[in-house]
Amino acid sequence: MSKSSRPQGGARAGRAKVDEVRQAQRAKERRSRILLAAAVAAVVLVIAGVVGFTIVNDVSNRPTLDAVKTYKVTRDHTNDPVKYAQTPPVGGNHAPVWLNCGVYTSPVKNELAVHSLEHGAVWVTYDPKLPADQVTKLTASLPDTYIVVSPYQGLPGPVVASAWGTQLVLTGVDDPRLAEFVKAYRQGPQTPEPGAACTGGSAGDLPPASG
Amino acid sequence: MTASTPAADDVRQPPDGEPVGDPARPAHGAAADIDPEPPSAGQHLGRIRLALVALAALLVGVLGTLWVVQARSSAPSDFGADAGFARDMQTHHAQAVEMAFLVRDRTDDAEVRTVAFDIITSQQQQAGQMYGWLVQWGLDQTGSRPPMAWVGGEHAAAHAGSDGSMPGMATAAQLAQLQAAMGVQAERIFLRLMIAHHTGGIAMAQAAVADARTPEVRTLAQAIATAQASEVKLLEQMLAARS
Repeated sequence: MSKSSRPQGGARAGRAKVDEVRQAQRAKERRSRILLAAAVAAVVLVIAGVVGFTIVNDVSNRPTLDAVKTYKVTRDHTNDPVKYAQTPPVGGNHAPVWLNCGVYTSPVKNELAVHSLEHGAVWVTYDPKLPADQVTKLTASLPDTYIVVSPYQGLPGPVVASAWGTQLVLTGVDDPRLAEFVKAYRQGPQTPEPGAACTGGSAGDLPPASG
Repeated sequence: MTASTPAADDVRQPPDGEPVGDPARPAHGAAADIDPEPPSAGQHLGRIRLALVALAALLVGVLGTLWVVQARSSAPSDFGADAGFARDMQTHHAQAVEMAFLVRDRTDDAEVRTVAFDIITSQQQQAGQMYGWLVQWGLDQTGSRPPMAWVGGEHAAAHAGSDGSMPGMATAAQLAQLQAAMGVQAERIFLRLMIAHHTGGIAMAQAAVADARTPEVRTLAQAIATAQASEVKLLEQMLAARS
């Protein structure tokens, strides 16, 4: 269609007017398309910004397990008392029977608890001087199975979490790293015998010593 | 789109399958390409709307495709039904194994000892499968959410109890009762606890059949639901015979 039609008679004049209107219409459409594209781009940018910020913020605020210490330990069975290198022990030789998982209100035998660590339990020990309500809070925050909770004399911190070959000293029952430790190490990849029972063992008594 | 002007109606194609009134007029395609009138204000608005809808459809399409591709190609999520079932059913099975061992140590009855043996071996093997899945998926054996949080609202029977326990789990007091009993009394306690345990386990398995994404989880969950449903019938007969 000609864009430069001059007025030549009534019909031509009508066509020119129509063309003019159409051109104006097209220009208007172009403008609105550009506006629309800009608006969409702005919305996408804002969403990307919010999502990006949230992810970065979340990742940087997550409690880290950088302070977890790992140890190489032996794993023979013995009926004799064992001297352990760590307090509380994180592994080493241990009793033939394991400690039943659960909450203990008095200290448990190292040789039994270490066998439970071998089966994938996390042993959460706390300072015996910790107030009762703190201990209640501590036990309530933990899973029901593959967890041993017990008081322990002479801990390097108010609460210490141990799994086979690994340990984390915590600042207290509110330390957010406890949940992270339990998630990572309860039945974790360091477990020598995952899925072996933490029930049907000893309720706290050692088998009679050999010899 | 709304047909707001007569001009728009003019160029509108008849819906598929509807007879065309004027045989001289092209039925499809060609009519829409011809623009006999300058676009009216209504048509202009219509085009912007059309562009917006097309853009939205494109966005939905692209995001949907990405989501499906991602869902198919990557391992199950840490919070989904697959991981939730693999974790919670390991715990659930472990208690069934524990109770079965307890009753085997407390009775000489061959029938009860056999069903307990069956439960120990089959459930310990199934728990091992679940452990292996989580290792394969690169996920922790321990979740960061409470038990049964993976179950959707429609599976009410598979929800955790008020104390946060999984459906059908025996309490510490019930386990102590079984531990303290001997002979036929231990058999009765075991049978009652195991019927409840299986019933809860079936609800959990059915929730996984409905919600799990991976075929291996759905297959094992279905097998568990079927096997435990038939075993509940057997346990009920055994309990009736001992009451």
